[in-house]
Amino acid sequence: MSNDVMIYASDLSKTFGSFRALDKINFEVKRGEIVGFLGPNGAGKSTTMRILTCFISPTGGTARVNGHDVFDDSLAVRESLGYLPQRAPLYLEMSVLEYLRFAADLRHLDAQTFRKRARSVVEVCGLAQVLGKEIRHLSHGYRQRVGLAQALIHDPPILVLDEPTSDLDPNEKAEFLDYLKQIGKERTVMLSTHNLAEVEASCARAIIISSGRIVADGPLDEIRAKSGRVRYVVSIQESAGDGAYRGRGPLPKKSEVEDALGKVGGVKKLGELPTDDRAHAFEVVSEQEVDLRPEIFRLVADKGWVMLELHRDAQTLEDVFRSLTIGDERRNRRLGPQPEVEDDEDDEDEESDGDRPGAAGGDAAEVAAKDQRS
Amino acid sequence: MRNILIIARRDLRAQFNSPVAYVVIGGTMLLLGLIIFILPHMSVGGVSVGGFWAIDRASMDQMFVCLPPLLSLLVIPAVTMRSLAAEKGSGTLELLITMPVRDSEVIIGKYLAACGVVVVLLAGTLLYPIAMFWGHWGIGWNLGALDWGPVWAGYLGCLFFSLAAVGVGMMLSSLTENDVVAFFMTTGALFLLYAVGLLVSLFQGSWTAVVEFISFESRFQSFARGMIDTRAIVYFLSVATLCLLVSFRSLESRKWS
Ligand SMILES: Nc1ncnc2c1ncn2[C@@H]1O[C@H](COP(=O)(O)OP(=O)(O)OP(=O)(O)O)[C@@H](O)[C@H]1O
Ligand SMILES: [Mg+2]
Repeated sequence: MSNDVMIYASDLSKTFGSFRALDKINFEVKRGEIVGFLGPNGAGKSTTMRILTCFISPTGGTARVNGHDVFDDSLAVRESLGYLPQRAPLYLEMSVLEYLRFAADLRHLDAQTFRKRARSVVEVCGLAQVLGKEIRHLSHGYRQRVGLAQALIHDPPILVLDEPTSDLDPNEKAEFLDYLKQIGKERTVMLSTHNLAEVEASCARAIIISSGRIVADGPLDEIRAKSGRVRYVVSIQESAGDGAYRGRGPLPKKSEVEDALGKVGGVKKLGELPTDDRAHAFEVVSEQEVDLRPEIFRLVADKGWVMLELHRDAQTLEDVFRSLTIGDERRNRRLGPQPEVEDDEDDEDEESDGDRPGAAGGDAAEVAAKDQRS
Repeated sequence: MRNILIIARRDLRAQFNSPVAYVVIGGTMLLLGLIIFILPHMSVGGVSVGGFWAIDRASMDQMFVCLPPLLSLLVIPAVTMRSLAAEKGSGTLELLITMPVRDSEVIIGKYLAACGVVVVLLAGTLLYPIAMFWGHWGIGWNLGALDWGPVWAGYLGCLFFSLAAVGVGMMLSSLTENDVVAFFMTTGALFLLYAVGLLVSLFQGSWTAVVEFISFESRFQSFARGMIDTRAIVYFLSVATLCLLVSFRSLESRKWS
């Protein structure tokens, strides 16, 4: 059962006038998966979701939801979906309860099922306090909760949520993501977001889309490994202050440390980190395969310096996201036979403005995007 | 069918949850009362209005002279602007349409709701003939026997007229995302459709026939005179149907923009 494809998109394209909002994107989402849909502003996340929910039609390609084609069988598609559009556009003059009842009516829930479901979604979305209030008087976060509640009211097998947590407070956000994880075992959830921590917390898989194209798709670990670099942070004592210096020989100078670290084999990049005057701190970036920690330790010990800190950071998802999507904005999305803009120069900009190293440019983006798990 | 009723009920409730419906209905009643009962008799472009007390006849003709313009210029534009234009503008249409409902059900549901508001208004205006000509109100007073036949014919005319006019309003509302634009487009269109009949004398030859064919006013005239004109009914219903079809297409076209 767990291998059913619930959302299937094949060569999906959408153009607005001469603007290419989606450019042949392909992906599948199976039952029991929670997929984070990531991408910079204007990447085409909402457009994809609107196609999947039959609000707009694709210009090319096919999409199937729960086995039904979004074009030929859109009623069946919409029956199996719960959808929260971006910014939760609700009828402001209705009260929360009225709205939920309206949604349930259109989903043809009977009164008893409605009561049961309403109780559960009201609890999950934390709406008990505001049930009788008109939506126009609610704060944005609460409106979003109502939007979530209406998407969940009929307990749909597939949930498509466009930035469902953007206005929620941290408590509600955590609770909601927990709930998603819990119901997500049997259902299919596709949620778009800009918050990468959230993806790490709730999704096992991410699809990263940029300028209308998928640049990465797969389990988070795999995506994280994609940029293929690791960062180490090293700090060496610079002055002992009032206490006794425990090292051998004189206190090291910054240039000394920098030179020595630079000579360690496998170091790709070395940068200074800001510290007080008690320590020299550096970050060292290397390829992923080699572990530099033994080398660094040996070096420091041999020199007789005092090591205050040595740790290794895996690439954060954020780094990967940046490396996959930065520079892509300038990609030409006009239709017609204009030449593609070369991406090379973009890499330069980004290395100098990026405060985190390891954000490699276009090459990472080319380590493309197939779901390799199957 | 069920979806149509759910949507219509919600829309109707929304209309009456906002002050717009009350202001429009109240305003129309007030204007109607003013024109019928307070205004001295006068003649505007060959149409005589006012002078209810001066005519010295038990007749509600005046009401059916005033109702269609008021409906066209105020009530129907204000009601239909909210049906689709406002929903498109605020984005709520996206949530509605991604529910398992057909586009046609959305259009028809909203159309019925808009017609509902007009029916409520028409029912409200019944107060005037009732107050003037029926019962004794404990003071042993009324204006005497009214021939109710023409009144019912007039109301029937207003109803079919409204069905067509609401259709026009829905259509224009479906073409824009801005409710103010929808309001003025509807006002303009209905004004033209109505007023062109008043100008019929300005047209020559075969144009007269064309104008009389299109004009809501010419079609409405026989009702105002107490006759039930089936050809007019067919015409009004055809206009409504056509407009709803266009609205449906226009709603569908969002998919291809
Ligand atoms: N109806 C439309 N007409 C013209 N262009 C559109 C339309 N809808 C979307 N676009 C364009 O398509 C692109 C993708 O938009 P989309 O809303 O899918 O982005 P997104 O990934 O959801 O961005 P965000 O993170 O800001 O929500 C944008 O550049 C947008 O300008
Ligand atoms: Mg979006």
